Amino acid sequence: MGMSYRRYLNGARIYGCAQCKTHLATIHSMISKAFNGQHGRAYLFDGVVNVIEGEPNDRAMTTGKHTVRDIYCCKCGTTLGWKYDRAYETTQKYKEGKFILERNLLVSVQ
Amino acid sequence: MRLTEPQSSTSSLHLDSLSEAGPSSATGATNGHNGFLAKSNGYGLPFTNGSSRSPDLDGVSGRKSSKRDLSIARVTLPGTTLYDDDPSTDREEFVRLVIQSLRDVGYHESAATLEAESGYIMESPDVAEFRRCILEADWDRANIVLTRLSITEEDRLWEARFLISQQKYLELLEADRTTAALQVLRQELAPSKVDPDQLHSLSSLMMCSDVTDLRQRAGWDGASGSSRRQLLINLQRYIPSSLMIPQRRFATLLSQARSWQQNQCLYHNAPSNPRTFSLYTDHLCDTSPFPRVTTAILEVHEDEVWNMEWSHNGQYLASASKDKTAIIWRVEHDKDPSVREIFPKHILREHKFPVGCVAWSPKDDYLLTASENDIRLWDVERGICIARDVDHHSDVVTALAWLPDNAHFISGGLDRKIIIWDLDCKPRDSWSYCPIRVTDLTLTPDFSRVLAIGMYDVVPEVPPVPTPPENGVPQARPTTENRVIVYDLATKQLETFISTEGELTSVKVSHDSRYALINSSASQTSPSEIILYDLELEWVVRKFTGHKQSRHVIRGCLGGYDGNFLASGSEDGIVYIWHRDSGTLLEALAGHGSGSVNSVAWNPHNVRMLASCSDDKTIRIWEAPPSVASGAPVGSAQPATNEQDGGKGKGKNRERWDGGDGCGYGASSSSTFL
Repeated sequence: MGMSYRRYLNGARIYGCAQCKTHLATIHSMISKAFNGQHGRAYLFDGVVNVIEGEPNDRAMTTGKHTVRDIYCCKCGTTLGWKYDRAYETTQKYKEGKFILERNLLVSVQ
Repeated sequence: MRLTEPQSSTSSLHLDSLSEAGPSSATGATNGHNGFLAKSNGYGLPFTNGSSRSPDLDGVSGRKSSKRDLSIARVTLPGTTLYDDDPSTDREEFVRLVIQSLRDVGYHESAATLEAESGYIMESPDVAEFRRCILEADWDRANIVLTRLSITEEDRLWEARFLISQQKYLELLEADRTTAALQVLRQELAPSKVDPDQLHSLSSLMMCSDVTDLRQRAGWDGASGSSRRQLLINLQRYIPSSLMIPQRRFATLLSQARSWQQNQCLYHNAPSNPRTFSLYTDHLCDTSPFPRVTTAILEVHEDEVWNMEWSHNGQYLASASKDKTAIIWRVEHDKDPSVREIFPKHILREHKFPVGCVAWSPKDDYLLTASENDIRLWDVERGICIARDVDHHSDVVTALAWLPDNAHFISGGLDRKIIIWDLDCKPRDSWSYCPIRVTDLTLTPDFSRVLAIGMYDVVPEVPPVPTPPENGVPQARPTTENRVIVYDLATKQLETFISTEGELTSVKVSHDSRYALINSSASQTSPSEIILYDLELEWVVRKFTGHKQSRHVIRGCLGGYDGNFLASGSEDGIVYIWHRDSGTLLEALAGHGSGSVNSVAWNPHNVRMLASCSDDKTIRIWEAPPSVASGAPVGSAQPATNEQDGGKGKGKNRERWDGGDGCGYGASSSSTFL
């Protein structure tokens, strides 16, 4: 709805979409590098920009059941990872509202 | 200057009311009737105060030269003001201006009569003689009289003398009396304390081959032209204005009143003429011809319409859409809505992403479009793309603007680049460094400046350390700010910039190249606002609020007669129109469907036509309500909601930034029509 420009980040290290270089997140908002995605290593971020969120659905993961949404690059539409809406296990609650980006789909941009 | 009969103001008041007893006696003897009388009854009952007439009293000495003077009785009034209940106007000043006006147009008898009756004279015999001396080239006499004209400072007297001698010198040269002219140069001009350069340029006029050459080089129109009158105007500044009244002073005051009334007229949308400006009443435009109803809805785009621009001749409208096309619409703006046609002349389809901006060449023969980093140049007549570039901008091109030669244009992008191109879409020049990601840019109509707006990255501290708590509260430091940057076009040098917290999405410049109009989105500390910035004085003149802009690119524009109005889109789907010089919100036009109104554009040729484009995939053309006879136009179902929303919008949306009092007009005017 409406025209809007992509958001731009600044900081020591900026992660962008490997396909189109759209800014996604900075290293300052990274919470953990110890995650796994469909393409290998993945990072957990506190906040990301320039993504479109898909519909929520429940997935059984190695750490238990979660409600997640896939996230897509707003420019090229590449699926980049997912967002945690809800964690059913109490120990996993810290992930709610956070984002996973897969390392292989990211590039460092400036 | 004159004798006055002692008289209390109460008795004067009483007598006044008697003198106007005929037409307005019903109003009684209350205050304020003097003003009424003067305005409405100029010919019937002149303002005379019979009882204070006294043939024996004649304070004007030396004014008995004409027989008429003797037969006119002097009228003696109490006090010194024109009306005794209004201390602001001095009677002597007023009467002397009237006498001056009468003389100017040739009512010499009336002027003399008024002088005799009032006891005031337009100017002293010295001033009259001085004027005569200048106009008749009696320079020696003029210099003698000049010393009697209350010029207190020696320096200023010298400057005045210099001006007179200069005229004398030029007239002698013109008459080919070179020896006499040389004498003036040596004896009168050279000894004065004037700038040597000026003296040098005067002496060089000796070499002029003929009279025409002399006049041209001196910038002077000769003894038979207006040069002596001009000299009088120039001398005016040395002589107290109470002694020698500036020329046509009354007319000057009236023209000031006219321009003030025009500023107060919130719906002023037509040139002034004697029909719309009368001295009898204050000027106020009829509000009915104002664009406020939809007369056409353009429905061809298949997705949100984001941007628009009228061709310079006002006959075409180019629109840019999320549907990856741009459309060139033919709009017969000068025809009646019931018979004219509006149709897409060309649909430009080659872009692979949504189209964000369009720009007409000065001759309207080319159109530029941009989508992501792809710039395309189109032949308007044939509707085909004749040049393009995707290599030089690495991010979204957000703005395109033409240079006056119709052969070069300028682009700005989110990649912090500003590039100048030729018609083959080859870069010719670029800014070596631009500190902002450009979200819009434009050229001033005089092509002296480039205005760029965008996001400025505050260089972060590395490694980032939390800001030490000040006053016990940790403060987050903003990492971005937004800037308006003004560049000199010729040198590409930065002239000035201003910072804002809200994101900047649109910049336009007024026709006179003086004011910039900038849309700024809402931020944590400020509402969404449109900033009117004075490029000469480098300050913010006014801010307009009432519309909504938080996330999207919303654009505004100036338009209407003399750029008197300001319009903007809004995220609430309403088109807002303000009065530029007062900030009053005039109209809140409802009609578009859900989503934002992204941009508005006022037709450059038809001051009563406005276009708006929206997320609802349509463009609406707004015009004055059609007259009853012409039948219902497209979209005639709208007026009911218009009125309602227009009324609702007003109360909450107005914000005034100056001390004027125009609010009342705006609120009362819009609901009377439709």
